[in-house]
Amino acid sequence: MPVADLLIGGILLGGVYALMACGLNLIFGVMRVINFADGDILAIAALSTVSIAVGFKLPFWVAILVVPLGCAVFGVLIHLLILRRIEGAPMIMSLLATYALSTILVNVAILIWGGGYSGLPGVLSGSLRVLGVNVSISRLVSFACAIGVSLAVWWLLEFTRFGRAVRSVSRAPELASISGIAIERIRLMTFALGTAMAGFAGVLVAPAFAVDPQLGSRFIVKAFAVIIVGGMGSYPGAIAAALLLGVIEVVGSYLAGAVIGSAFLFLLMLAVLLVRPRGLLGAGMRV
Amino acid sequence: MSDTIVAVEKVSKRFAGRIALDSVDIDVTRGSITGVIGPNGSGKSTLFNIIAGTLRPDTGRVLVDGRNITSASAAEICGLGVARTFQISRLFAEMTVLENLVAVARGRDDRAAIALAMELLEFLEIADIADRWGAELSYGQRKLVEIARALMLQPKVMLLDEPFAGVNPRLQNRIVEHLRTLCAKGITVFFIDHEMRIVLNECDLVYVLAEGRLIAHGDTATVRNDARVLQAYF
Amino acid sequence: MNRMKKVNSLGVAGVAGVAALVLPFIGSDYTVSFSIQLLIFLVLAYSWNWIGGYAGYTHFGQVGFFGIGAYVGSLLNFHLGVPWYFAAIIAGLAGALTAIPLGGAMLRLKGPFFAIGMFGLTRVLEAFALGFDSVTGGGTGIYLKPVSDLRPVYYVVAAVAGVMLFLTWKLDNSRLGLKLLAIREDEDAAESLGIPTTRLKIGTFVASAIAPAAMGSLYAVYLGFIDPPTAFAPNIELTTIAMVLLGGMGTVLGPLCGAVVLSVVNELLWANYPQIYLASVGVIILLAVLFMPRGIVSLGMKTGWVTVSRPLFRRLAARHGEALS
Repeated sequence: MPVADLLIGGILLGGVYALMACGLNLIFGVMRVINFADGDILAIAALSTVSIAVGFKLPFWVAILVVPLGCAVFGVLIHLLILRRIEGAPMIMSLLATYALSTILVNVAILIWGGGYSGLPGVLSGSLRVLGVNVSISRLVSFACAIGVSLAVWWLLEFTRFGRAVRSVSRAPELASISGIAIERIRLMTFALGTAMAGFAGVLVAPAFAVDPQLGSRFIVKAFAVIIVGGMGSYPGAIAAALLLGVIEVVGSYLAGAVIGSAFLFLLMLAVLLVRPRGLLGAGMRV
Repeated sequence: MSDTIVAVEKVSKRFAGRIALDSVDIDVTRGSITGVIGPNGSGKSTLFNIIAGTLRPDTGRVLVDGRNITSASAAEICGLGVARTFQISRLFAEMTVLENLVAVARGRDDRAAIALAMELLEFLEIADIADRWGAELSYGQRKLVEIARALMLQPKVMLLDEPFAGVNPRLQNRIVEHLRTLCAKGITVFFIDHEMRIVLNECDLVYVLAEGRLIAHGDTATVRNDARVLQAYF
Repeated sequence: MNRMKKVNSLGVAGVAGVAALVLPFIGSDYTVSFSIQLLIFLVLAYSWNWIGGYAGYTHFGQVGFFGIGAYVGSLLNFHLGVPWYFAAIIAGLAGALTAIPLGGAMLRLKGPFFAIGMFGLTRVLEAFALGFDSVTGGGTGIYLKPVSDLRPVYYVVAAVAGVMLFLTWKLDNSRLGLKLLAIREDEDAAESLGIPTTRLKIGTFVASAIAPAAMGSLYAVYLGFIDPPTAFAPNIELTTIAMVLLGGMGTVLGPLCGAVVLSVVNELLWANYPQIYLASVGVIILLAVLFMPRGIVSLGMKTGWVTVSRPLFRRLAARHGEALS
């Protein structure tokens, strides 16, 4: 078994999961909404990146700037048109709403881009040797950026005024509103930040993976497993779980084939649920 | 020795390092009306949630009828005859008052459950709202329905979480009367509140909490004249 | 109260029952085929309504049991020659047997996390069906010996749908139904008032897995074919949930109304414009969430055409009141 190959491959894959899981955690913490459309925003961002670079022949960095911004604007629209209007409603309503949104986005994406795969040849191509393993530069860059952004968001939450406000809204919304925090604005900004993170993840995925409209549903399922294993709402838990699950997926695929390999994640998820319902690091909120 | 139904023994609880309860001892005598008073943040609600089983104490234990329930679940404690109400009403909003009561009834017989529910609503003089939705009740009605719903469990002990807070004096008196009747039927009433007037006039035994510590207890006259209570409150 | 204007549910049930019986004799093959699809969705919707509508648990994994049933039934039929009706019964049992341990683990998660966990598990089941191709035929799927006449399948599915409707009516008028609603409204309060929430949730989860598994098996018979994307199709989940939501969650007639409306939309769009169909179901769910979260049935209750939910308790309470006065 090529241990180093698999380890590095898994960790690199885990980076994107970590970024997604942190975005989902952020949104859930503040809004008590699980954004099922997160993966589809990622997929559309990746497809848009391909269109920008291949279709419009613009440089890659244009996509890095434009796509996350576009996703943030889209997030603002979703929040204003949908989520804000069902704030007091039972949780099942927001679950159904984002689930419906996810379906709409996938199918609109198929109508626009078609169902096939596309890629971004020539961007960040080539490979490096790390610990005696050939690693493609695109994956290395996407990993580094994903973990970088995840850590940056964590830092933002822990050490800035915005972060303090976000944390107090997640913990006690009533109290936060009494102490003069504009809850609505925090929620709006958080959701926009969360969708921008999904958009950024999409840009990172485009050069490293084959991209198609169904990409989002494949990624989000794993991000969900990461959240449950890492313990809901825990950022260090999410990052650790993402890397662990990335490795398990890659090793599983090596041993049992790509299709069944990804199922290993969920066996681990079930095991974690039975043994440590609050997540691997035990830091997640009890829900 | 008096007959104790609920005993709290040396219970302590911390939240993120802050002391919520500090080695609290409480004895609730069977068939009594016992009250706990204390200002906001004194640990009353924590104490209550520990007895009801929604929180676990860090140290100490809770006995109901001599059985250790410290690590029992809320439902198990309920099964021992301890029923509770909630400080902020938690009626099932999309169910009618009657359905709220019938849902928690024990036993298999639907008709018996409905008869008991109607009887309790009549006892509390709210039979006329049996068909109203939980969501459309007034604040005072909610408090009464909460009490009725707890009584559906035919409890030995009623835990009432601030039954008088925010209720007008006329309704307060009505609730007191009902509690007296329940007491006469042998149900123990244990409640927390900060409504001094009622606590200091109606209780058989009063415990006073401040900053997580028990600062006084005894009958109403003792507590009323206790220097520390006067200092904490007046 | 104006009793004349109320829809007489017994009468409606009678008329519907007779119509269902004679339909295969007067309708075309197309009608029978369309009705089988509608009835299968109706059964799925009623099952989803138990866990999703009454107990309030957003279940994004029902199609997982549908798929398990489809494979268990098809494999029994294909390898062992078990007759399709018998295979469907075993498929239903297999659904229940899978649901017990799965429910025990997954229902440790409350609402939203249960939703994402089940969502993911369903994709895993599909992956297993694809991956263990020595058993399941993988992506090629399994071709069953075609059934010459679909009418028996129709009657079986119609009978199951009738049973589901009846059971839901019983549930709606029972204390068990109220206890499930209590879990939906406030699970913690229900628990601390002595309602055995864990047991009820797992029970409901298992009960709501049986019929979908049996339907999966019958669906395979109906198509004469099964492969992973068909057995675990996300669009089945989506359509089922949209039916319950549109009709009215936690009501007796809601799934029926929703199933009729969406089956027509499905028939018009699915075959030729699948993307447009799926997107429109998404739009329907969104609009229902935003503007009509209680569903079509609640409109009927407002106009007084449909009896308000849970009439039995109202009647008994009224009778009790009369006896007193």
